[in-house]
Amino acid sequence: MTHRLRFGALVTSVAGARRAEELGYDLVAVPDTPDTDTWTLLAWIAGHTERIGLAATGLDVAQREPAVLARAAASLDLLSGGRLDLALTGDHLGEVTAIVRGVLDAGVPGPLRHLGAHHRVPKAQRGPLPAHRIPIWLTGADPDSLRLAGSTADAWVADLALIDAAELAAAYKMIDEAAAEAGREPEEIRRILIIGPGLGPDELLALGADTFLVDAGDPPPLTPWQTLREAPGPAVFRPASVRAKRRPGIDYDAIPASLAGTAVEPGDLDYARVRSTYMRGGSPGLVLRPRTTAEVVDALAVVRAHPGVPFGLRSAGHGVSGRSTNDGGIVISLAAMNTVEILDKSRRLIRVGPGARWMDVARAIGPHGWALSSGDYGGVGVGGLATAGGVGWLARKHGLTIDHLHAVEVVLADGTVVRASAGENTDLFWAVRGAGANFGVVTSFEFEVYEVGDVGFAQLVVAADDPADLLVKWGRAIEAAPRDVSGQLIMGPPRPGQPAFAQLMAVVDNDDPETIIDQLQPIAAVAPLYQQQVTLTPYTAVISNAADGGYHQGAGEPISRSGLIEHLTPAFARAVAELLDSGAVHWFQIRTVGGAVADVPAGETAYAHRDANFSVIVMGADKQRVDAAWAGLQPHFQGLYLSFETGLSSVEDAFPPATLARLRDLKHRYDPDNLFRDNFNIKAATR
Amino acid sequence: MTDYGQDLLFGTFITPTAQPAHQAVELAVVADRAGLDLATFQDHPYLPKFHDTWTLLSYAAARTSTIRLSGNVLSLPLRQPAVLARSHASLDRLTGGRIELGLGAGAFWDGIEAMGARRLTAGQSVDALGEAIEVIRAVWAAGEPGPVHVPGEYYQVDGLKRGPAPAHDMSIWVGAYKPRMLRLIGRAADGVLPSLSYLAGGPGDYAEINRHIDGSAAEAGRDPARIRRLLNINGTFSQFGRSFLDGPAEQWAEDLAGLALEHGISAFILATDDPAAIEEFAADVAPAVRELVAAERA
Ligand SMILES: Cc1cc2nc3c(=O)[nH]c(=O)nc-3n(C[C@H](O)[C@H](O)[C@H](O)COP(=O)(O)OP(=O)(O)OC[C@H]3O[C@@H](n4cnc5c(N)ncnc54)[C@H](O)[C@@H]3O)c2cc1C
Repeated sequence: MTHRLRFGALVTSVAGARRAEELGYDLVAVPDTPDTDTWTLLAWIAGHTERIGLAATGLDVAQREPAVLARAAASLDLLSGGRLDLALTGDHLGEVTAIVRGVLDAGVPGPLRHLGAHHRVPKAQRGPLPAHRIPIWLTGADPDSLRLAGSTADAWVADLALIDAAELAAAYKMIDEAAAEAGREPEEIRRILIIGPGLGPDELLALGADTFLVDAGDPPPLTPWQTLREAPGPAVFRPASVRAKRRPGIDYDAIPASLAGTAVEPGDLDYARVRSTYMRGGSPGLVLRPRTTAEVVDALAVVRAHPGVPFGLRSAGHGVSGRSTNDGGIVISLAAMNTVEILDKSRRLIRVGPGARWMDVARAIGPHGWALSSGDYGGVGVGGLATAGGVGWLARKHGLTIDHLHAVEVVLADGTVVRASAGENTDLFWAVRGAGANFGVVTSFEFEVYEVGDVGFAQLVVAADDPADLLVKWGRAIEAAPRDVSGQLIMGPPRPGQPAFAQLMAVVDNDDPETIIDQLQPIAAVAPLYQQQVTLTPYTAVISNAADGGYHQGAGEPISRSGLIEHLTPAFARAVAELLDSGAVHWFQIRTVGGAVADVPAGETAYAHRDANFSVIVMGADKQRVDAAWAGLQPHFQGLYLSFETGLSSVEDAFPPATLARLRDLKHRYDPDNLFRDNFNIKAATR
Repeated sequence: MTDYGQDLLFGTFITPTAQPAHQAVELAVVADRAGLDLATFQDHPYLPKFHDTWTLLSYAAARTSTIRLSGNVLSLPLRQPAVLARSHASLDRLTGGRIELGLGAGAFWDGIEAMGARRLTAGQSVDALGEAIEVIRAVWAAGEPGPVHVPGEYYQVDGLKRGPAPAHDMSIWVGAYKPRMLRLIGRAADGVLPSLSYLAGGPGDYAEINRHIDGSAAEAGRDPARIRRLLNINGTFSQFGRSFLDGPAEQWAEDLAGLALEHGISAFILATDDPAAIEEFAADVAPAVRELVAAERA
């Protein structure tokens, strides 16, 4: 059997639905009643239940514009956590189904246009993307309805009170034929049957349906049918139309059971949610979504079994180089491994999953009066950042994120799970802190965090008529500032007719307003102020600057360049002014490093450019123009921070020679076959 | 000074964002727990970033216990009047009388048309709204004999079975600014629901709104004092009073009490998605406004 047998109950009240939920029914269906609007009742029941599937036995499509109906369905599906099936009745159901599906298919580019004989939708925006692919049920035993069901529906409903077994068999046969004619498999259409309470298991099986809706007033216990409910079915059924979008070179049928239920392939609805990253559009052939370390081990086995296929590793998908997606390859997404646990309160020890975002971490530990400096954006993931460095809002006071890493759990290329810390697998622990992406999948991070009270958060806009002068002065002021102060400067290309300006931001890790103002004063004095806002606020509020929910819809190829520099010299500042003038970059940003970052000896971690006081980043659209403009800055840099760089060949700039030599040796030891190669690939030393 | 003496309502105007899916519901729960009177949601069925407002409202109704809910306001061109009537009455019965009907003639006609509905001129949309109210009231009149007959120009309802009736005397509040719509409200609706940010002349524009409604109500033989004057407001809670609805809660209370007494506004609906602001509005502003207004009325 292709589908697991399901049991539902017809209900007309919350009490009935709750009873069905308690009894273990798979779904409830609301019949049409004269005194209640069906859709309203269904949403009301959704709000009063937790688990059970939701459907109506038939919504009259004449009551809503099909495109509005589709959005309503998406909403109910999202609100109920993916519990909705949509049963339609009425006229022109072929057109209505096409419109509903077109709106729900939010991953399809461009608006929906449907100019049919009965319904016209000139250009509706698609979405919202529902929580799951909402099955559309059709009904009607006449040949036209059956043909439509076979050619387009996800399910067909009949009522055994209105049709006998022989008619039902004939109807199923017509559906099968229509399905075959439309190039579908008969299994794609689920058979839903409304039954009375009296039938036994054998009688039900003989009817050939796979979903039974019991119509009995109060839902009866499921005990008579227990044997049927225990028969297993496959985890996921993918119709031919979905399988048709599979990519060559990937053995989809070999995905282990542990991952099959959560895996996403190009034809799946969830594909829109997982295909791209924040910075880059992608079209992977398979996204594996492990939830545990053991599942990561399974996922890596899949990757090893596909040696020629691109492989990207993703935590929260904010990688600037965007390598956590690809075209036609495999992606392991760790988004579900996103827990934040307090391990030891007295030592302020926490354990974090790679898929957590930094604002999740801040929110979890903030209430204890703790923080952990990460970056400047709360949406960034733990996995990518904490394997590379972590230049954050408190960097000068507290150092890099990796400087507070206590231990990691890593799944190595061969599937071994190891722990690395200052006391065990010390080489690996060294490598993970700056070059982690080359050595394995880090499945958990243990940090020792620190106390942070409210902080001062300054956002200033200053004149930048002389950008070179501004840069030199800002650089000096912030280097001279106490370590409480970390900050950044953002400029764009000059815009005709508008005064040039720069944004200066700073966090002061101090909760005394006067001290904050004193420490900010010299920075605010570097150029005439256009705007200023200084607030005293929890660190959590500063980092909670990303929207919750949503999914990445990056497109195209990002172009970003990174450089690390000790001082903002007049010569460097002039080069920057030229770069801005060239118009080749739309984004120019300098973050402070230095301070506590430089307290750590260069050899201590694979992030080695400890002398730098500043991290410089530019972004542009045209690679050649960006590189030409960037060339003027290059001589001033002592290296780069790989998290901000898209030029993947620049490993020599990311790691100084001694560091790189050691990394190559370790790469040979830990990943000789180069499984981990998506981002800044380090070549194994040859022996 | 116009004060119609109505009891005061305080509510929230919550963005029906679809991502994260539960944000709007959680804010309605916050408002419910805080003791506000109303949770309302805007309705833009052409925008996929928002939930379907009616679905959201029905679901939020299930997750709250005492707060009343309404659209603010529902887009009539994409919602059929008979369905509006039946769905509102249904939910009103399910919730024990917590639903009101907020209705608008339609804004953003490009979006409405893109979804497949017909574009109307401003004048046509007023007439359509008038017919819709007629249909809605006829459906609700479950006790009247015979089926619903409204042979309108925009809505033709012929022989539809009446009912269900709402559980309570449900209000129809209409989003409106212009004279024709305001006069329709005076004749046929139970409240007017504009947004302060759309009043070009600020709150003082409410005098014009009242003048049109009161005049037309009187002409139609209705008591103007029974038509509720609502207002969507936005503002900032800050330590030091700076301007209208920008300051501490006490200043807000004085600002709003002023509007209640000056223009007879009896429902203040705060547009915010900040739970702290919702709580402050409920705890510190609403009781203070009630007190100030009661003292003045006494
Ligand atoms: C808007 C924005 C602001 C940023 N601000 C800062 C900042 O202020 N300071 C700063 O330091 N960085 C900053 N970054 C850069 C950021 O730290 C990196 O892009 C980081 O890699 C993102 O982590 P992620 O898990 O979200 O990325 P993903 O795209 O998921 O991963 C990026 C790469 O990291 C590797 N990787 C991911 N997970 C793991 C894992 N579990 N084990 C081993 N390797 C893994 C993979 O090679 C992957 O290609 C910013 C990025 C963006 C987009």
